[in-house]
Amino acid sequence: MDLPAKPSSSLLGAPPARKGWRRFAVRLRSSSGAIGGGSLIVGYLSIIVLIPIAAVVAHGFSFSIHTQGWGGAFWHWHLTAGFGTFWTDVTQPAAISAIRLSLWLSLSVAAINAVMGVAIAWVLVRDSFHGKWFVEAFIDLPFALPTIVVGVVLLFLFGTQSPLHIDLFETWMGLMVALLFVTLPFSVRAVQPVLASLDGEAEAAAKSLGAGGLRTFVSVVLPSLWPAVLGGFGLAFARAIGEFGSISLIAGGIGRTTTASSYIYNLTQGFLWTNAAAVSTALLVLSLIILIASNVFARRFQHRLAP
Amino acid sequence: MSISLSRLTKRYGPNVVVDDVNVEIPEGSLTAILGPSGSGKSTLLKLIAGLEVPDEGRVIIEGDDVTDVDPRYRDIGFCFQHYAPFRHMNVSKNIGFGLRVRKQPKDVIEVKVRELLELVKLEDKANSYPAQLSGGERQRMALARALAIEPRVLLLDEPFGALDAIVRTELRHFVKELHRQIKVTTILVTHDQDEAMEVADQLLIMHAGKIEQAGEPTELYERPATEFVHSFLGPTTLFKGVAVRPHDLELVSPSVGSIEGVVTSIMELGFEIQVTITLSDGSTPWVQMSRNEFRALGVTTGSPVSVRERVAQ
Amino acid sequence: MKHTSRKWSLRVIVIGYLALLVGLPVGYLFIKAFSHGLGAFWSEVTKPNAVAALKLSAEVALIAVPVNTVIGIGAALLLAKKKFFGSRALTLAFDIPVAVSPIIIGVALILAYSRIGWFGAWLSKNGITILFSPVGIVMATMAVSLPYVLRSVLPVLIEVGKDQEQAARTLGAGAFRTFWQITLPAIRWGVLYGVTLTIARTLGEFGAVLVVSGDITGKTQTLPIYIFAVWDQSYDTIGAFAGALVLASISIVALIILSSLRARERKLHVDLA
Repeated sequence: MDLPAKPSSSLLGAPPARKGWRRFAVRLRSSSGAIGGGSLIVGYLSIIVLIPIAAVVAHGFSFSIHTQGWGGAFWHWHLTAGFGTFWTDVTQPAAISAIRLSLWLSLSVAAINAVMGVAIAWVLVRDSFHGKWFVEAFIDLPFALPTIVVGVVLLFLFGTQSPLHIDLFETWMGLMVALLFVTLPFSVRAVQPVLASLDGEAEAAAKSLGAGGLRTFVSVVLPSLWPAVLGGFGLAFARAIGEFGSISLIAGGIGRTTTASSYIYNLTQGFLWTNAAAVSTALLVLSLIILIASNVFARRFQHRLAP
Repeated sequence: MSISLSRLTKRYGPNVVVDDVNVEIPEGSLTAILGPSGSGKSTLLKLIAGLEVPDEGRVIIEGDDVTDVDPRYRDIGFCFQHYAPFRHMNVSKNIGFGLRVRKQPKDVIEVKVRELLELVKLEDKANSYPAQLSGGERQRMALARALAIEPRVLLLDEPFGALDAIVRTELRHFVKELHRQIKVTTILVTHDQDEAMEVADQLLIMHAGKIEQAGEPTELYERPATEFVHSFLGPTTLFKGVAVRPHDLELVSPSVGSIEGVVTSIMELGFEIQVTITLSDGSTPWVQMSRNEFRALGVTTGSPVSVRERVAQ
Repeated sequence: MKHTSRKWSLRVIVIGYLALLVGLPVGYLFIKAFSHGLGAFWSEVTKPNAVAALKLSAEVALIAVPVNTVIGIGAALLLAKKKFFGSRALTLAFDIPVAVSPIIIGVALILAYSRIGWFGAWLSKNGITILFSPVGIVMATMAVSLPYVLRSVLPVLIEVGKDQEQAARTLGAGAFRTFWQITLPAIRWGVLYGVTLTIARTLGEFGAVLVVSGDITGKTQTLPIYIFAVWDQSYDTIGAFAGALVLASISIVALIILSSLRARERKLHVDLA
């Protein structure tokens, strides 16, 4: 090995050390890329998501800003009725019944799948049988399938010409089947990794103390699963309350089965943008509240459970 | 002097992690920075490498002030605690990375990589991927990768920390031998005093962000400047109210006119025996001796003995 | 035995639920679509309007997927490497499109960029139409498929850590080389996972696109819109099923890719441990 006893820096043609850079310059240089990239990302996010969402809320409250082009005044503000129209739009009987339908359907769907999600996750993690991989692959299918595909299939399977003679067309049960289908992966995948990470020591301890299977589950396993179950509940609820494609066909066109999303869509077809914006704002606030609430709850549980 | 640090300070928020460090590290030495976890030793190493930017002070390598120089232009070889192998490259590609960055011709890289593989004894693993290597092999690969660019300084962050006991000893000898061959100024960070004493020819003892003492291992062991260095560098026990090394004490029969006591416990650790004595003044020093000495004394638990300081011969 | 019977009943409940809820519809789709024969299926999917819809879907994906991939990787790098004020808000903002109804995303884009929206007057003066045009469809698709790359890459990036990048730097590599030769190969499975999800979501998006597209046959119909229109306007069962089958097949391929990637990712995790 002919490495020299005293290695010299320029042996391999490394550029000479740069001198004279002040520290702030080094820091600025190392983060200038991040600043540039960050602005680009925030800019894109604003154009695609943030500005449009702000526009919905503003329109919902009839607060609108219209641009007049480059010449003259760039901004032209006109502020109309404000909160009053928002309230009128949202409290129209059709709007109320649509929001009410979406709410109770989403809550029950999220609840049913929370229970089934725990059961499915339990079987996937703790049970073993032939063909389990197939069941595992099935879970993500509703997530991968485009919602309109689900809508078409459910319409024909549970429509007026149902081959099973189960007619759920224009009923809330039809909507529920569709929503249970599309929210399933959220409920299962939220719980599964947490269940897999429980090492079973606490369960074994409970059993050694004489607790039965069910008691062990309720008093030892379930408390550790709560945050995950709540997280899954929140995701499923948010998905259900915003769902449109999979339920749009089986709902038909009648008021009884018009969910909030369908109601907003119908308003856009009549070019009733201010009404659409008002109901959208209400729905937006509703799903954000549930999402944040389930996050907060989950975190509180997590804190309490942290060793 | 190969590396000199002056007034080097690094803060994370209100915590001063490296606190006004002034030190000179001699050319060609193998220096160990030794300290308990959280003493700032790894941060000090990263400051030398440029992976952390100091708040105050200068880093000078071979006379060049590199404080504001990006790590890529510092010509240092850095080995990470968990080796940081490039997982998607095989061993040869890993070792040759720095040479490819420096746009060396292909044949030169090939020869160089082969030499390095030989040096770190990984000839037969040239085409293996990091995932297929043992911990010790990964560490040797990381060493070769760092040495490939012929660094001015080699920096090793807890190089043996993640290895099991046998590989650890093996690799210690390997690093010492490697250093003897290529003589590149090397700094390693460790929390293990045995490791530091065995491998290094210079020690820096760090505690709470400050250098407690620097010098040769024997000097530090025999003449610790502070209480911390004394207790950190080797075993200590209290005798007559003073901290002493337990192997500087000896057991004698009670008649010789020293403090009397009784053997209260005996711990046999292979070659080494540790005997704890409860003295009449209530203190409980322990004495370290070889198995042969212990046999010759023939004491058991409950034997009346007395303790005194060994007389240097 | 009590224990075994409980285990069996749970197994039966779970498999029964999945079979009825998921297996039945998906199985029915394949049986029904082929029940009229392969010839009928082929003549349906080669109708000019179907081909035009497929083409538009592909074009939209070709723009939306690369843009969202670059943005997603960039955001993941930013969130993993830098601590900055508002990083939590940025993560949350990325999640808005999946937390909100796609219909609302569509309405939002119209209220911001169509003629009746904030920037409509200015945009139309400059010759840009959003409503009832492919531009609007692309924007709506970009919005709803935004978070997937970020969500898949960020955990992998955090797991991989900074060590390899720092090692490359000490060996003399610049930022550009470090990204292409070290960072990107280390996160490649995560990126691929996110890209697959983005493609699946892009091709399947319905609600948001429906609102902005105006549903003009042969012009602003993506494949999902085409399926909807074929049923809604002419009650064409075979046409709707044929289109649905094409989309379903794409998403099942995506699903297979995803699960094999997950298996690989697990293997990587074992290696890292």
